[in-house]
Amino acid sequence: MSWTKVPGMAAPSRGCSCHRRATIFCAFAILAALAATGALAADDTDLLPTSGFAGVWQRDGAAKLFRGAELYGAIDGGAEIFLEFGFERVTIQRYLARSQEISLALYRMSDPAAALGIYLAKCGKETPEPSFYERHTAGRYQLACVRERFFAVVENPAGVPALAPVLVAFARALAAKLPASTPVAELALLPKQGQIAGSQRLIRGPVAFAELITLGEGDVLELRGAVTAAAASYGDPGAHTLVLVPYLDAPAAAAAFAFLSRHLDPEIKPLAETATKIVFKDYAGGFGDVTLAGSVITVRFHLAEPPR
Amino acid sequence: MAKRDVSPDLAATLNRREFVVTTGAVVAGGLVLGVPSLGQETPAIETNIADFLKVPKGPHALPGPFPGRVVKVTDAHALADDKFDAKVVAAMFEHGVRSLTGTNMRKSFRMFFTTNDVIGLKVNPVGAPLISTKPEVVEATVRWLVDNGVRPHNIVIWDRFDLDLKSAGFTPERFPGVRIEALQTMADEGKSCRDATGKHLSAGNFDPDAFYLLKGVFGKGVRGYQDDEYYFNQHVFNGEQSYFGNLITKRLTKIVNLAAYKNTGNGISMATKNLGYAAICNTGRLHAPLFFRVCTEVLAAPPVRDKLVLNVTDGLRAQYDDGPDKNEKFVYANNALYFATDPFALDMVCHRELVAKRKAMGVNVNEHPKFTDYLHYAQRLGLGVADPARITLVEVKA
Repeated sequence: MSWTKVPGMAAPSRGCSCHRRATIFCAFAILAALAATGALAADDTDLLPTSGFAGVWQRDGAAKLFRGAELYGAIDGGAEIFLEFGFERVTIQRYLARSQEISLALYRMSDPAAALGIYLAKCGKETPEPSFYERHTAGRYQLACVRERFFAVVENPAGVPALAPVLVAFARALAAKLPASTPVAELALLPKQGQIAGSQRLIRGPVAFAELITLGEGDVLELRGAVTAAAASYGDPGAHTLVLVPYLDAPAAAAAFAFLSRHLDPEIKPLAETATKIVFKDYAGGFGDVTLAGSVITVRFHLAEPPR
Repeated sequence: MAKRDVSPDLAATLNRREFVVTTGAVVAGGLVLGVPSLGQETPAIETNIADFLKVPKGPHALPGPFPGRVVKVTDAHALADDKFDAKVVAAMFEHGVRSLTGTNMRKSFRMFFTTNDVIGLKVNPVGAPLISTKPEVVEATVRWLVDNGVRPHNIVIWDRFDLDLKSAGFTPERFPGVRIEALQTMADEGKSCRDATGKHLSAGNFDPDAFYLLKGVFGKGVRGYQDDEYYFNQHVFNGEQSYFGNLITKRLTKIVNLAAYKNTGNGISMATKNLGYAAICNTGRLHAPLFFRVCTEVLAAPPVRDKLVLNVTDGLRAQYDDGPDKNEKFVYANNALYFATDPFALDMVCHRELVAKRKAMGVNVNEHPKFTDYLHYAQRLGLGVADPARITLVEVKA
């Protein structure tokens, strides 16, 4: 009997027949689960509302699909952060009802942290519609939501006020077909006390990190799209922004710290430096520090005074 | 004769054709000059900026008659009930032009144009309807030109790509008699972008004699594109040259730059980027190594530098985060238009204003100097003013 390796599943050892039957059952279960979320399909069209949705909305032609690096064809500016977090594909479908239009873009990211990372970068101050329970922010022109590894944007391109509830209806129908969300562990590392609401961010590379601060050129924290850092801002007293980077292990964190210390941006002025800590003044006159402790690097910046 | 040997007096007599031919000769001979010595921030990557700088400036060259002068006109009634009031916008436009030039609209027109000019209005249709150049601003511009004797068919509303112009409201119905053009098209999925000879369908729209060169950086294997054919479809050429559109080098005699007001990361995507990334093709390869520097060096090229006479940044609506495409969460009514002949001073004013807005809205702002270095670079090139202490901002409230 030959075995086909299912992604994320170790090949079973050859053993008793009941063991094999259990393994086969598990394999079918995983395949069924993958099929249910469309992971095995060529695109995610099956997850989208069908023609006739809400009685009037018809799909306008076939969905457009952009995979991997094709994203540059779908997004005019701003594709890099999707690729950095881990982008797999986006399925875009336009719907028409009489002369009105709704557009839906469903982004399949590599994992839930990638999807949430994108959502947090784009949601701003969230304005949810109370009747829709998925994490989302809704406006008249656009509704953005996140569930498990999926990030979606439903658009009302003309901004027709009467269509604002339709955005919610589309998002609700879409969410019902997606797997349940799971918590993103990295965000739980951030202290809650003093945290400014809406300031949480996730970081997996230089594009997202540069939104906050430039400590060096390129991937100076050596995140490599694999390590997920969490960030948030904290209010007075001692207002600052905090980034926590949990590496796989202490040697990886130490290597990243050493790399950073060797490649500090010329505009970052070190005030004090040890084997595990760099205190600096930044280009805008603020202060900060980088601390190595075990497998975690902690970065603080936007401090009004040099940290002790 | 290579242009590097031309004396200043002789160079002053070169016409456009001579400029492009001599530039081509230098490049073909492998004598890429790189960038001139312009101070401590001189970039190391080799482009043909030196060739651009050797061409004597024309009478309308940047930064124009008002270096460092920026006019901001604000009227809270411009946007009412989510609609733009064309009359209010037109009045704001007139206030802006008059405050910039210090004279009336007719004399202002004569300062920049003749009735025989072919005038390109460079719009930004990306992000419609929230954050693109508004048709009301373009209408005000067209009306000013026509009222002073320019024939509508000598006015060209243009952008690099054709796909967004219609959705942003730039249609023949709304602008009768005015030309609406794009430098290029893209083939739809499943269709070829190549003609029978293998060239891109839009290849003929670009001037083979006028280009922005980034030595050794080709439009091949560019990160973010599925493959080279995909890149080719979007960028028309795969070489190390980014050709200027024929529209800019051969047909237009003047350019009015009508940008939108929005961010791109911690920088801005306004006046200089509206032209820097739209006057040429094959730009995908430029983002990673150069990004904002393109906004300076493409505007330093004679076909742009000598024709760009007026910049109007449409800040009626503005977007402070997640640009350059639209994101409703960050769009706000700014009710302002900004005017300058100097696009670099204009961008510096708007950059600083947007940074203040981002801070006020609680956005974590990265104020690294790299986000404005390109403006200071332009100042060193003599194209404009970036030093805030040397910029005069005139605020007009209607």
